[in-house]
Amino acid sequence: MTDTQKQQTRSQGDHLNIIDRTARWITLPRFVFAATLFFFLTSVLFPFYWMVSSSFKSRSEISGREPVYIPSEWRLNAYQELFDPESPIGRFGTNIVNSVKVAVPTALIAVILSTLGAYAVARLKFRGKDILLNAILMVYLFPGVLLIIPLFAMLAQVGTKVGFNVQDNLAVLVVTYLATTLPVALYMLANYFRTIPAEIEQAALIDGCSRLGVIWRITLPLAVPALVSVAIYTFMIAWNEFLYALVFLNSRELFTMPIKINTIFNEPQPIPHVVMAASTLMTLPVVFLFLALERFLTEGLSAGSVKG
Amino acid sequence: MTATTQSKQSSFAKRWRSLEAREGRLAWSLVLPTAIIVFGLIIFPAIFSVWISFHDVGLHNLNDVFNAPFVGFENYRKVFQDYAFKFQGWQSWGAAVTSVIYSFLATTLTIVVGLIASLLLNRPFRGRGLARSIFLFPYVAPIVSVAFVWRWILDPRPSGVLNDILMRLDLIDLPTAFLSTRGLAIVLVIIFEAWRYFPFAMLMILARLQAIDKTLYEAADVDGASAWDKFRFVTIPELRYVLGALFLLRLMWTFNKFDDIFLLTGGGFGTKVLPVLTYEFSFRLLDFGRGAATAMILLVILVIFMALYVGIVMRNVDEE
Repeated sequence: MTDTQKQQTRSQGDHLNIIDRTARWITLPRFVFAATLFFFLTSVLFPFYWMVSSSFKSRSEISGREPVYIPSEWRLNAYQELFDPESPIGRFGTNIVNSVKVAVPTALIAVILSTLGAYAVARLKFRGKDILLNAILMVYLFPGVLLIIPLFAMLAQVGTKVGFNVQDNLAVLVVTYLATTLPVALYMLANYFRTIPAEIEQAALIDGCSRLGVIWRITLPLAVPALVSVAIYTFMIAWNEFLYALVFLNSRELFTMPIKINTIFNEPQPIPHVVMAASTLMTLPVVFLFLALERFLTEGLSAGSVKG
Repeated sequence: MTATTQSKQSSFAKRWRSLEAREGRLAWSLVLPTAIIVFGLIIFPAIFSVWISFHDVGLHNLNDVFNAPFVGFENYRKVFQDYAFKFQGWQSWGAAVTSVIYSFLATTLTIVVGLIASLLLNRPFRGRGLARSIFLFPYVAPIVSVAFVWRWILDPRPSGVLNDILMRLDLIDLPTAFLSTRGLAIVLVIIFEAWRYFPFAMLMILARLQAIDKTLYEAADVDGASAWDKFRFVTIPELRYVLGALFLLRLMWTFNKFDDIFLLTGGGFGTKVLPVLTYEFSFRLLDFGRGAATAMILLVILVIFMALYVGIVMRNVDEE
């Protein structure tokens, strides 16, 4: 700071022109800093620019001999193809609805169950707490591919006995996503609950409030930021999940967005602009949600709450 | 006799009604739903997967899994003898070696890039908040979208944008099939990992950087330390714990990761890692026993590594 001020006063005194001034302003560390920042920004943003811009290109622009860097006009061909009810790659609306049907219940149920569990872990004494916490932490260790085989075999067994379809059943997906997100949600919330002073709750208990009453009237209102971030995270995990959906879903009617995009990508005749249009539609809500609620979320991110 | 049972009963009843026990029961009823779901859908399947790896389970007997024939280590033998698994010289690494090398390099690169990004954002400049939000994009965006954008950027045709840029700059003469060239493919997958996951490392390092005591730097200034000295002797030692924990966490997740490589290369051209091999055995060949055996091998490698890491690296950190 002092360096800049000194240089500014010096250059003001000398009445230098702009070029000389910038030449003076640019020292080696400043140059390295600016260059690195520029490199980071372009490498982060270019793929996103390429995704959005490609989605507005026409078929001829996409399959030309040279790439088109800026689409000549905002064409919606790709989006029309994506929502075309006649085409097998179309009807993307159904897939959006399927993703919502999976992600919203996952987020809601995860918040409710992990709130109850986290409260017990943070505030109450009970036997077997350490074992439970360690068992829950194990989830971090097991890869999804290890769990998918036994899950598939197990659910097929249970399914034939109880009478539900394992394949092409969005409820099965919700339950498996809950299993992978609940442990993380519980840890996040428990850590947050511990930061709320216990004295407030004790006062309410003495005044004759029940435990559940305390959770509902005292703890939850104080924990809104944590609840929001848990909801967003579980939503995002369910929204983005690929492997379980790939294994459990067979019918195009029930594909969630990631699986549908994968099938469009693997069409024999490549149609990258349609893939990019679908990707744009899938990415935008998540990025906007994230930007809007970033204040709550980065803390959770750095707490290691998103597995991935 | 009767008196003792009675007193036992009453002491049991007393305990049952005591405040502590009531608290315990309430606690268990609160965690029960979570515990059931986590046990039923994670812990039990994990144990069941050990069982499957010793049995012949395929699509034909999936509906009658518990009567599948026991085959001992047959599944493991098949995996170890598979050409996709075993190391056969530097031309063809096999999934086990590829997994280890890929995870190490990807984790290291991710943390180095994350460190640079966090150092950038640690100094004040106009638009820092915005830059931080933008840096988080790769991590927040769905894996399917970003993987396919990268494939589209790396398109092997001359119309692929990276091919076009490199040809315009005269760095290459002919369009390159980036993701279907052995050697190049794994390098690009590693770069992709660093691109996607550096924000996570950045956030964790940044939080620690901002907590470093400023007087340490002032003291170093008084001693006439250069910027590099300050980085080497103040910043890095202060970050040691974070970097150690980050490395372990990211290594574990990278080692277990399936989606990224499956979507980028499908596991071809020298990028077949153990999770992808597990998937192929299970859901392409429909040999669940062999798939489970591969997953167990993956888990064992991971656990051995973690034990070594915690035992050696973390202990050294403590002693210093």
